[in-house]
Amino acid sequence: MSDHGSSPRAVADPVIDITDLFAFPSPERPNHLILVMNTFPYCGPSALFSDAIDYRIRLRPLTIASTGAKAAFAVGEEETSFSCTFSAAQKIKGSHQFVQEGVCRTAHGETITFRVNDGHGSQSGGLRVFAGMRLDPFFLNGEGILATVLTQKLAFPGNGNNTAHGYNVLSIVIEVNVSDLFKSGDGLLFAVAAETMTIGSVRSRLERAGRSEIKPLVLLLKNLDPVNRDLELRELYNLEDPFQLGPHYVGAYRARMNANLPFFDGLDGKTDWPLDQGGTHPLTELLLADFLVVDVSKPFTEDGWFEIERAMLKGEPHRTCGGRWLNHDVIDSIFNLLVNAGNGPLISDGVDQATQPSSRAFPFLSPPNPSPPSTLPNLSATIAASATRD
Amino acid sequence: MFGSSDVSAAREPRTTDGTIALLNLQSQIDVYERSAVHGQGAFVELLMLRAHLLGRIKDAEWANELAEAGVRQADADGAAFVTRARVRATFHRFTEALRDLDEAERLGVRHDVADNERATIFQAIGRYADSFVIRRTAADHLSNFETLGALTVLHAESGDTATAEILFDKTRSCYGVVCPFPIAMLDFQRGRMWMTAGDLKQARIWFEAACFRLPDYAPAQGHLAEVDAALGERKAAINRLSEYAVSSDDPDYAAQLARILGENGQPEEAIRWSTLALARYNVLLGSHPAAFADHAAEFFLESGNDPERALELANMNLELRKTPRARELVARAAEAVRLRCHLMTQE
Repeated sequence: MSDHGSSPRAVADPVIDITDLFAFPSPERPNHLILVMNTFPYCGPSALFSDAIDYRIRLRPLTIASTGAKAAFAVGEEETSFSCTFSAAQKIKGSHQFVQEGVCRTAHGETITFRVNDGHGSQSGGLRVFAGMRLDPFFLNGEGILATVLTQKLAFPGNGNNTAHGYNVLSIVIEVNVSDLFKSGDGLLFAVAAETMTIGSVRSRLERAGRSEIKPLVLLLKNLDPVNRDLELRELYNLEDPFQLGPHYVGAYRARMNANLPFFDGLDGKTDWPLDQGGTHPLTELLLADFLVVDVSKPFTEDGWFEIERAMLKGEPHRTCGGRWLNHDVIDSIFNLLVNAGNGPLISDGVDQATQPSSRAFPFLSPPNPSPPSTLPNLSATIAASATRD
Repeated sequence: MFGSSDVSAAREPRTTDGTIALLNLQSQIDVYERSAVHGQGAFVELLMLRAHLLGRIKDAEWANELAEAGVRQADADGAAFVTRARVRATFHRFTEALRDLDEAERLGVRHDVADNERATIFQAIGRYADSFVIRRTAADHLSNFETLGALTVLHAESGDTATAEILFDKTRSCYGVVCPFPIAMLDFQRGRMWMTAGDLKQARIWFEAACFRLPDYAPAQGHLAEVDAALGERKAAINRLSEYAVSSDDPDYAAQLARILGENGQPEEAIRWSTLALARYNVLLGSHPAAFADHAAEFFLESGNDPERALELANMNLELRKTPRARELVARAAEAVRLRCHLMTQE
């Protein structure tokens, strides 16, 4: 879930699998933006980053193009990015341990090197980078979500078990001075997306992540799709540029979303998101713009996820920085968004915090669990398989 | 020895460093190992992968136990039968594996999924025509690295090197991910094809490509050593094999090392490794006779120096798999027995 195991290819080679993306103004350093890209779900103690992948976070300036029912962003052409690449594993002499070095390159040519798992990270100018194993900050009631999808009714008990309890991920944490982001200095509203790209003579996108739960939940179910009932769309979706979907498959993504979003809307037995005459769900276009939206002119807040988009839908100015903070309960937020449009009553999956909540100091995420529990069943695959049987 | 362009082409596309990939595989296995949920098919698959890559029979035996337990715990789960079929096929229990696939299908596993596994078994037992039907259908339906690769290896195995060579290139060009294992395994199969065809130069290119991508890939290193030895580079072969003869619990490495040491005029060391291989083969033939019959027959034909036992094992192998290689092994063993009888008569 979130973006864990969000496509067959990611399940086959978890080192490419982006589990989560976070973006938020630094709670400890004003005028700094924090970007966090987590990969390799449920990794064990020896896991390292691939040296054949460019772990990349991209940002573009945004403007709000329209509000209300047709709320939409206009994505700027200028782009800045942070590309993290890693060395091959080097064995420490006289030990069975391996070390790995990394380098982060910005679109403006700044370069910073670091050692994987150095808890302090590395700093140069306005840029600070950490990369290494951390406790997965994501939390959810996987059993409740599975039961909800299978019974087609909200099935969250008062207290649920955190399905992601105690697992580790490989994290990249970047702190950047906001004034260094774009040469033009234009804008304070940004789109943020993460990608894993191949390195070498052919560069291709393997995975991408923006908002949470788009691939593992919104695009997952095939059986409701009137167009492509047996197509694994998420693999195609991963290949797309997050800032500009190609024309070839966008119709397929729309059809899938327009079929699945009403399913979630109906889980409480009422309709909060009526479709338009063409059968389009009001959230479809906004969710197809699959990136985090962060406003760095606003101070840090814990619960900004999708607030900017919700304000746009209401035709109101947004109040928060948006983005996504590490401890935000995104599962509750997405169910409240999709099921009742925030109209209440409040939906909770019964799991309200991570194994160890993240701190407010760099690198924010908690140190890894030295004894992570058993591997999770692939919840997305279980849901997809179960939901397809009927 | 070979053109640099061949070597550089064989090293594309770029994949994750082999050491990192194995550490990450280890990391996944570690997490499963701590788990109480041991029957999961994914865990069995990871163990089987490591068993192949590192030449670890104990991993395959562990996978075998888990796959059996998986069926016991979920005897209405078709996927558990598919997993067990894969493991049983690895141990050359082909009839039981085919029965598992029928049962898996009866329990709801898709026909094409079961057929994909059947094709692997048909190929292993020499039913190439049956395997071709499935492999061609799959590749026609969806041409990707997996389907084309399977068809390619079938062409290679059946001796059609010309078609296989074209398909090997085509399959490699489909590779769009960074995991080094599948492409190293494909290159290894290409090396095997050329070794069987007697083109050691080509075989070396592809075994080296597999080892470049995955330096700890034990079967590729073992075959590369065989090529080295066949090309007269016995010292290199001995160096290469020594590591695996120690680290692997597969006696094939010790057996090969014994043979090459003998050819290199080091009889005492050859006997030491041969004795070790014999002891290990005896244990494995007791627990998994079908799985090790062919390799043990090779051993008894060479440094094991027991043609009668080689012929017995070669015949057992031929009973299971009517492949050209199995027939050739029986013929070689029979000839060795005949030769020994002739020599004894002369004495």
